[in-house]
Amino acid sequence: MSSSVCLRCFKRALIPPESSSSLTTAHRAAFSTSPSLSANPPKKKPSVGKTQGKSQAKPGKTLRLTKNKRVQTGRPPAPGERKALRKRIVLSNTNALDVPGLENLTTENVKDTGRLRELEGRVLGFGEDTVDAMRALEAFKPGQGWSLFKRPAALVRKDMIELGEAVQNAKENNSVARRVVFGERGSGKSVLLLQGMAMAYLQGWVVLHFPEARPITNAQTAYQPIQTAEGETIYVQPHYIAGVLGNIAAANRGLLNDLRLSKQHKLPIPLQSNISLTRLVELGARDPQLAYPIWKAFLSEMTAPSQPEKQGQLRPPVFVGMDGVDHIMRMSAYLDTDMKPIHAHDLAIARDYASLLSGKTPLPNGGIVMAATSASTRPAVPTLDHFLARKHAETHAQALTTIRDALLDQAKTAKSIQDIDLTNLEALTPASFPPPLALQAQNLQYLVLRFHDQNASLHSLRKYLHSFAPKLPEWNPFEAMDQHVADVMQTGVGVTKMEGLSKEEARSVMEYYARSGMMRGAVTEGLVSERWTLAGGGIVGELERGAVRARF
Amino acid sequence: MFIFGVNFPEQRLVTRALQSFYGIGPAVSQTLMARFRIHKTAKIGDLGDRQVDDLAAELSTMTIENDLKRQMVDNIKRLRDMGTYRGRRHAMGYPVRGQNTRGQIMTSRKLNRIERRR
Repeated sequence: MSSSVCLRCFKRALIPPESSSSLTTAHRAAFSTSPSLSANPPKKKPSVGKTQGKSQAKPGKTLRLTKNKRVQTGRPPAPGERKALRKRIVLSNTNALDVPGLENLTTENVKDTGRLRELEGRVLGFGEDTVDAMRALEAFKPGQGWSLFKRPAALVRKDMIELGEAVQNAKENNSVARRVVFGERGSGKSVLLLQGMAMAYLQGWVVLHFPEARPITNAQTAYQPIQTAEGETIYVQPHYIAGVLGNIAAANRGLLNDLRLSKQHKLPIPLQSNISLTRLVELGARDPQLAYPIWKAFLSEMTAPSQPEKQGQLRPPVFVGMDGVDHIMRMSAYLDTDMKPIHAHDLAIARDYASLLSGKTPLPNGGIVMAATSASTRPAVPTLDHFLARKHAETHAQALTTIRDALLDQAKTAKSIQDIDLTNLEALTPASFPPPLALQAQNLQYLVLRFHDQNASLHSLRKYLHSFAPKLPEWNPFEAMDQHVADVMQTGVGVTKMEGLSKEEARSVMEYYARSGMMRGAVTEGLVSERWTLAGGGIVGELERGAVRARF
Repeated sequence: MFIFGVNFPEQRLVTRALQSFYGIGPAVSQTLMARFRIHKTAKIGDLGDRQVDDLAAELSTMTIENDLKRQMVDNIKRLRDMGTYRGRRHAMGYPVRGQNTRGQIMTSRKLNRIERRR
């Protein structure tokens, strides 16, 4: 049987090295800490391969090659230099050709929806003034390919025309359109947002824009708690808000210069009662500690009723944009004092935007609140995804229900199944429906046509049509829903899915590439078809990548 | 700026500065920063006076640096004085928790002493 204590160690510990007698050990404690023993274990001999520095590799162990040595060449980049290079926006390419006859997006074009509709499928440039304003709002982003062409230009798509109509509508009826744009990466969400802002800007709107939602929530900027009037704790991000205010002041300077304060605001500093809104916003941009109160004051000025008869009390409609909105539809990376993550809607600026998007903050002078999701920096946002999918399906379900109702009406009055008009049903393209509905649409089309072919009784057709109802995506009841997000999305926010371009649109864009000298060769039907397919069905970002960037 | 008696340069990350103290690692520094609402990438220079004071007050109540080292040494000393196997292994510079001693005991060779220093 072996003892639990190693006898050899035991012996070594018991017997001091100077005495070999085992007799004395009986009088001692089992283990002694007397000074004679407190010497450290003997040092290793230096020849065993000991080196001076900790990080220094043992000699002879690594292969010494010149290529393994790190050579310092030039000076290292200064702090922030690499980021500045990464985020640099270049809007012009001197080597690209100036496209002759490239029209601009002008106020006249935008004001008249009929005119705008005529321009569908054409590429329009942005005027210098618009470019300056949009640049100030950081609406142009790196990686969008602006640096490939002589000057910024974008395609007029169907979605843009719808947006243009919404802008007109909001202006005329003082109504508010609230919309979330989603779609694949490179499908043109951010550019649609840019076009929307440009259209609003050209018509004299105040344009507010949050170019990225991610820096709001990723805990890279300072935050402070404050108490709301309802006693909730929310968090303000002074430096971020100051930056946004600076952008707003720079982009809307011409407009805000003429607008004056109309109310008394509770601010930490005394203010003249009639200063212009530009001055107000600039004050906030300059001092981060004032930024949030000034942002609130500015928002309340913008949402005050317009009084055109009074000097400087006119309040134009407002366009509020946010890109990458999914980042504020989840928990933020900030922590509260109990180490729990803070929900993004408890961050003051995201909260204000969410309340604009949900319509809780009214815009009495009309306006558009638009958000684009981000597909390249996509966070996990199950609740938002569900509502986007459901609302998108709802718009399509409407089409199916209309067709079903029309068929049912006919089935009630018709004498035989052969009298029923099936043109609408035959024109249905199930592939254009979102996944859960596509199968249903296919079934509807197939079964009704089969009833028709087999000359089935009207009764059986009616029975089938009665049983047909479009199925919408349902929330999994075993998962917790993000109530903050649900509250926003359940308030009649519209959703738009950015689809790929049509072949005609793709052709128009490719002709623009060719005329800019950035794509060689003639734009033929075959080439357009090929590029359109390779771009995943006309995803415009991919189209550009395939046609302009990757030249073989 | 001085925190807990150490002068840190302005551009040093707060989390790094905190973790330079013996007894503060990633988890504790995160807790401290959350308590005083310091964001993840804050630098020492970004801290407000209030935050610095709060942080210093909090650090002074914690068992860190020499207090923590002394506590550890005392714990080992207690083991040794009782004559336990673990106390003995500490004193002999051998691994304490039953590891083999043929090779790979660099850490215990380095750290375990009769009067452990760190």
